[in-house]
Amino acid sequence: MAASIDGILPKTLQELVKSSKVLVVGAGGIGCEVLKNLVLSGFLDIEIIDLDTIDLSNLNRQFLFHREHVGKSKANVARESALSFNPDSKIIAHHDSVTSAKYGVNFFKKFNVVLSALDNRAARNHVNRMCLNADVPLIESGTSGYNGQVEIIKRGLTQCYECTPKEKQRSFPGCTIRNTPSEPIHCIVWAKHLFNQLFGESLEDEDISPDSADPEAQDKNEGDANEKEANEKEATEGEAKEQKKEDKQDDGNIVRINTRQWAKDCEYDPTKLFNKFFNEDINYLLRMSNLWESRKAPTPIEWSSLQPVEGEVSEYGKQHHRIWSIGECSQIFANTLKDLSSAFLNLEGDDTLVWDKDDQPAMDFVSACANIRSHIFDIEKKSRFEIKSMAGNIIPAIATTNAITAGLSVMRAFNVLQSKWKQCNSVYARLRTNGRNQFLVPDTFFPPPNPNCYVCASDPAIILKVDTKRITIKDLRDEILIKTLNMVDPDVTVDRTGSILLSSEEGETTENEGKLLSEMNVVDGVILECDDFHQNYKLRIIINHFDADREDNLFEVVADKSQLQPKDEIKEAEDKPVEEKRSRKRSANGNDSPDDGPSTSKRSRPDPEEDDCMVIEDDDDDVVITSPPDNDSDPSPPSPKKPETGCKRKASTDITEILDSSDEDDDDNTQPKKTKLDDTPSDVINID
Amino acid sequence: MVMEVDLTENVPSIELTEAESELYDRQIRLWGLESQKRLRTAKILISGLNGLGAEITKNIILSGVSLVKLHDDKLVTEEDFSSQFLVPRESLTTNRAQASLERARDLNPMVDISADTEPLKNKTSEFFGQFDVVVVNGQSNEELLRIDTICREKGVKFYASDVWGTFGFFFAGLQTHRYVEDEIKYKLISKPKEKPKYETVSKPVQHEVEYPAYSSWLNFNINAAGYQRKLKRNGPGIVLLRILQKFRIIHKRDPSYKTREQDLTKLQVIRDELISSPTATDLNEQVLGMLFAQISPAVAIVGGVVAQEVIKVITKVEAPHRNLFIFDPNTCAGYVETIGVN
Repeated sequence: MAASIDGILPKTLQELVKSSKVLVVGAGGIGCEVLKNLVLSGFLDIEIIDLDTIDLSNLNRQFLFHREHVGKSKANVARESALSFNPDSKIIAHHDSVTSAKYGVNFFKKFNVVLSALDNRAARNHVNRMCLNADVPLIESGTSGYNGQVEIIKRGLTQCYECTPKEKQRSFPGCTIRNTPSEPIHCIVWAKHLFNQLFGESLEDEDISPDSADPEAQDKNEGDANEKEANEKEATEGEAKEQKKEDKQDDGNIVRINTRQWAKDCEYDPTKLFNKFFNEDINYLLRMSNLWESRKAPTPIEWSSLQPVEGEVSEYGKQHHRIWSIGECSQIFANTLKDLSSAFLNLEGDDTLVWDKDDQPAMDFVSACANIRSHIFDIEKKSRFEIKSMAGNIIPAIATTNAITAGLSVMRAFNVLQSKWKQCNSVYARLRTNGRNQFLVPDTFFPPPNPNCYVCASDPAIILKVDTKRITIKDLRDEILIKTLNMVDPDVTVDRTGSILLSSEEGETTENEGKLLSEMNVVDGVILECDDFHQNYKLRIIINHFDADREDNLFEVVADKSQLQPKDEIKEAEDKPVEEKRSRKRSANGNDSPDDGPSTSKRSRPDPEEDDCMVIEDDDDDVVITSPPDNDSDPSPPSPKKPETGCKRKASTDITEILDSSDEDDDDNTQPKKTKLDDTPSDVINID
Repeated sequence: MVMEVDLTENVPSIELTEAESELYDRQIRLWGLESQKRLRTAKILISGLNGLGAEITKNIILSGVSLVKLHDDKLVTEEDFSSQFLVPRESLTTNRAQASLERARDLNPMVDISADTEPLKNKTSEFFGQFDVVVVNGQSNEELLRIDTICREKGVKFYASDVWGTFGFFFAGLQTHRYVEDEIKYKLISKPKEKPKYETVSKPVQHEVEYPAYSSWLNFNINAAGYQRKLKRNGPGIVLLRILQKFRIIHKRDPSYKTREQDLTKLQVIRDELISSPTATDLNEQVLGMLFAQISPAVAIVGGVVAQEVIKVITKVEAPHRNLFIFDPNTCAGYVETIGVN
């Protein structure tokens, strides 16, 4: 509206606002606010895209939606609500995924600016690539709790979204989950795996039974004998129909591939299932005595030993903030087992249940099982409310941060349209003020594009450290190219021979999928040419074979050759003081106060189980964030520790990301003394 | 002042309903159940339903307070449509608070929302005393001073705020305010010869802080020699605030888009009278040209900030900024000046 009233905006800006075509990606917490700001500012030609529908827990901030809209398309309802603010605007709503092939480079080229308000890194990476390709300026935004950030991405001028490495998730070795949990999250992950083993999509590496091949359990001298004995004993235990799995990789390991069938055969008898998971399996673990030499041994629980519980499950089960007793957990286990099994048995064919934090029995089941297991291992129990945060990757979200961040985003859009590139540096919203008393903090300089970026560099390449004897062509596509490198539909050829490994044409390379890389002659030193036609993105992959140890990730992407260094140098705990130093430094140059980064205090911010950290996704919408501003490009003195550029990922492993707060003055004498505190970009150390 | 913490001190003894828990889930995960209970009983007055008033209203209502009174004696004008999204187009020339009611209620049916259209100057201390927090937009310094004084007597927390175009500010008059803040520390957990390993420890600490009266801002000398370095560092925002408030005093209105060119000249005259420092050149026509009506994204930023401050005040969690906030649209910096504190 503003632009349509003469005199409110300066003439040039007024014309630009009236004539520009804008794309808003995401109609969640930030998207709703952005859309409102755009129509009120007088933008007339807007498209908005979101694949999601409205949930009750959105309504505390996604103010274009009301109770009667729950279940409806976010994009469509957002459009209608925003039009009531300015009926002169034209808004096209797409209830769709932005990664869909419908929205190709030509679609993006229509727009003068794209404002992204997404909640996950995969979609962000994709939009980044599309905008780079279409050469349309992108305003990227995210929030988490009190923190927000807005950054401009413009081809050739700024860093792209993928120029800087995003922090890694924390992953847990299978042995920790199955044998030796020591934190609540280990038990929560285990409980989610248990849900999947019984009712969900059952993945082999989500096994919940004791892992007898745990290297730590092997006694150097008698390990074989012990294990053999244990295996035999296990194999003779009639109730659980164990099967030895013929697997050359897992020699000697018992894999209970049939937990699901066994449970079904028991008709989901709660007593039998409880005794198996919380008594027999624990007793089995106890026999792996080496594990308990330096740890507190678990205490198995028998169903018959449980104290009767007062009150109705339907009553205490609703108390989400109180920590349930073991008796209560057991009753809830029994109750939800009944609900879930009947839901499961009603499914058709091979369908399975999908674990959802908002599905009451599924969430109750995981809360109860996690706490029972915690109790057994003498780990702190948690309330259902807390477990939901951890199990469901919930990012706290509030209206005010979203409003502020969306406002900054549209303010920056004004600058972008006027090509005031010098006034387009990133801005951060923080809870507390920095050393310059700012809590809305613009960057003081523009970080240049990373010349080794595997997305926006002129001839992008990565090194793929991979166990070519254990990764299949299908893994290469699904886990590495799609999940890790965020391609949509890649074609892959071998550079030297030109042979096609993977084709985006359906069926063309199906017969390759089950083969190992090594079987396809993709071995150390081979170069692969990957091409994602949809993203118009080409990437060379240099194969670097290694023999993965049992608990190693099977592959690791190294985005930058200079990053090939021994991993020992990068220890997570040690990094904290380093981060701290950097944060302090930033305070001085006006950027951030460290303690309210996205990693804020444990009390106010649950540890999200997540997939990455710069962007923490969630099935909500606002989302995400960032490490403290300019993590990697801030003008700090050289640090002996470089951040990793590689992204490490283990094929379909449960991952959890624990962000730590960094506020402390601990001296770390491995760090060079800071000699200069300065705002000028001349200090920039490009960490590439 | 730091003291022992009782996190549950004065937390209303109410339980949230299941519906409330579900609706507010994502924010309870940020500020906790006690804070949500405190919000649940809070009563807020928002006076001045311009674009900024609408943004503050939206955020406060969404947070789940008990009651919001929308107060305004002005009528909806065309100018409001550039940021006041609570008033429908067809409400032109009707009372702004009344016109905002329906959409305000749609934002959160659990909040008690009503309108009051009586002129602010007729409102006495009994009126202001009904509220926990009073937020006043678009008033003269004289009126702000009067209400601040009443609020100080009544122990009501007071915020004055404004947006001109894309430039904005708030002033916090909280008298003595107590709040809890987490202090986070690193603890070395590794043994002496091992590689250093740290663990974070956070501990709630209670503070008690004094917030000066609005008069401290009116008496503040922006030309004081000792202040010039700070002015240079933070930019000319505080000077611009003076100019705009002076414009309001002299012309009994804000700069108008209808008389854009004349008002730009008037602003320059006031600028040159008020300051002699080089800052004057920073306040060039480009900056002055973005001061008309209220531009939506800037109003969203300042409205988000003010609402967040009100929430901090009600929940008594985290330090409210003390005490003058400036949003500089040129850089998008938002910073805090501490006025009247020695």
